Amino acid sequence: MQSDANKSQQATGRPVTTRKLDQFFLNLGDVAAFIGRFFREVFVPPYEFKEIIRQCYEVGYRSLLLISTTGFITGMVFTNQSRPSLSEFGATSWLPSLIAIAVVRALGPLVTALIAAGKVGSSIGAEIGSMNVTEQIDAMEVSGTNPFKFLVVSRVLATSFTIPLLTMYTIFVALIGAFLNVNANEQTSFTSYIQEVFGAITYLDIFSSVIKSIVFGFTIGMVGCYKGYHSSKGTEGVGKAANSSVVTAMFLVFIEELLSLQIVSAIRGS
Amino acid sequence: MSTESTKRSVVVGIFVLLGIIILIAGIFVLGGQQKRFTSTVRLIALFKDVGGLKNGNNVWFSGVKIGTVKRISFVSNSQVEVDMNIEESSKQFIRKDASASISSDGLIGNKIVVIAGGTTSQPEVEDGDRLKTTEALSSDQIMATLQENNNNLLKVTNDFKELVGNLRRGKGTVGAVLTDSIVADNFKRAMVNLEKASDNTVRVTGSVAQFAAKLNTKGTLANELVTDTTVFRRLSRAATRFESTVTAADQSVATLRQTSINLNRASDKLNNTNSPLGILLTDKETATNLQVTLRNLSKGTELLNEDLKAAQSNFLLRGFFKKKAKAEAKQKADSTAAASPKP
Repeated sequence: MQSDANKSQQATGRPVTTRKLDQFFLNLGDVAAFIGRFFREVFVPPYEFKEIIRQCYEVGYRSLLLISTTGFITGMVFTNQSRPSLSEFGATSWLPSLIAIAVVRALGPLVTALIAAGKVGSSIGAEIGSMNVTEQIDAMEVSGTNPFKFLVVSRVLATSFTIPLLTMYTIFVALIGAFLNVNANEQTSFTSYIQEVFGAITYLDIFSSVIKSIVFGFTIGMVGCYKGYHSSKGTEGVGKAANSSVVTAMFLVFIEELLSLQIVSAIRGS
Repeated sequence: MSTESTKRSVVVGIFVLLGIIILIAGIFVLGGQQKRFTSTVRLIALFKDVGGLKNGNNVWFSGVKIGTVKRISFVSNSQVEVDMNIEESSKQFIRKDASASISSDGLIGNKIVVIAGGTTSQPEVEDGDRLKTTEALSSDQIMATLQENNNNLLKVTNDFKELVGNLRRGKGTVGAVLTDSIVADNFKRAMVNLEKASDNTVRVTGSVAQFAAKLNTKGTLANELVTDTTVFRRLSRAATRFESTVTAADQSVATLRQTSINLNRASDKLNNTNSPLGILLTDKETATNLQVTLRNLSKGTELLNEDLKAAQSNFLLRGFFKKKAKAEAKQKADSTAAASPKP
């Protein structure tokens, strides 16, 4: 191992750490350039509406069933798991409020983003990665089509637009699931449940959730496209791009969740 | 391909529409819940302490949510101004003399502003009105009172502990009763005596009952005493006489007392050395002198006796004494003859 490091050091004339640091900053610069290019391309015509709608169909509609099921189960399970803690001091009537806050503020956007990162992020990474490997992207450039606009902008716009919508679906379905559980156990009426749910949340919760979901969608789309666009050649590169896009997107989603929590808490506190 | 594309577009359109409908519905339900879309009036209340009240907390009137807290701000050193948005439809029920207080919607619930009171003679509140406030008990004050109670309870339990300790050690009357076997025996005996006394009381009660029965039996002395007026009159007279006798006896006793006083005085005088009798009785020197005098007198008497015997032998007086002796002898013989019976 030592000899390998020495060899590489001799080859480049620089230590390994410095080279890795260089690589990191190069990647960071590359990502920044990629994002910058997206914002340049997004406002410049021609607009690929058909491709955007197709991607919305693929990303949004095709994920709807999976996300709805996940949201429904999340609502039911979360309600069931929260009940013992609240029932310890006889506060099960607070379950709707607790669920509303948890689902609207965190669980809805987070569950949607994670599922989307797994399903959509990987598919985008694999799709663009395979196009990159098979040199279809180069072919598009040659044929006069802007591959970045067609492949990246459309997908990132589709994820940024559909994931907030999917989040709304998730929240809705999760609250329905929670209601069924609460109704079955506490015999709470729908009216009372809705009163409790909307009594606990605020506009800030809803809007922060929507904005957060847009950021999550943008991240998932951008990560998937970047990883696919920069995949190494060969079939192995496609797998790596798919895997890497899921892992990175999920990781970034959690980081963003943490940051958004700080920002929203600061706004709520003021 | 075109049909496929159109179908896809429609599906996406429906998907997007439904998503947006959910969002809009959520916003409207939330707005309706928070009375965002109803016309409101602004009321102000000044509190010394709002106890953690926050913007958006509810305002209740008679237990019904009628608005929310819009703004909380300091106006002076220890005064916090709370601006509230109240539904215009509820305004007619709130009078100008109603008061606001800070409360909680449950034991551990959110803080709320409670508007209460108000008389129908007063006009209804208007936009920008300032309500008077009632300072509610804060949890700190409740805890302070509770702490005081705890301290008192501690003192009481300590005193009780000490009391029980003293009882166990046999201190004090009750302790002695509880621990000392002698006291216990005494107590037992007292109880036995009490029981006997109780028995006696029962018997006495029986006797009293019998007596009462006899009192009620006609012809008996007791009954006559109680019922016969003649007997009573006699008894009354006897009592009067007895009373007069007692009065006379009292007078006699008074006289005796006076006599006794006089005797005491005489006795005092006898004891007094200034009086002749007192000197005779108490003065030792006088007594000695008196003894000497008496002795001298005895001696003088003896000598005089001798002198008189000598005088009897004197020829001058010898005839007198012989005649006297003869007369005495004759008188004696006469009396003897008179006494003896005649044959």
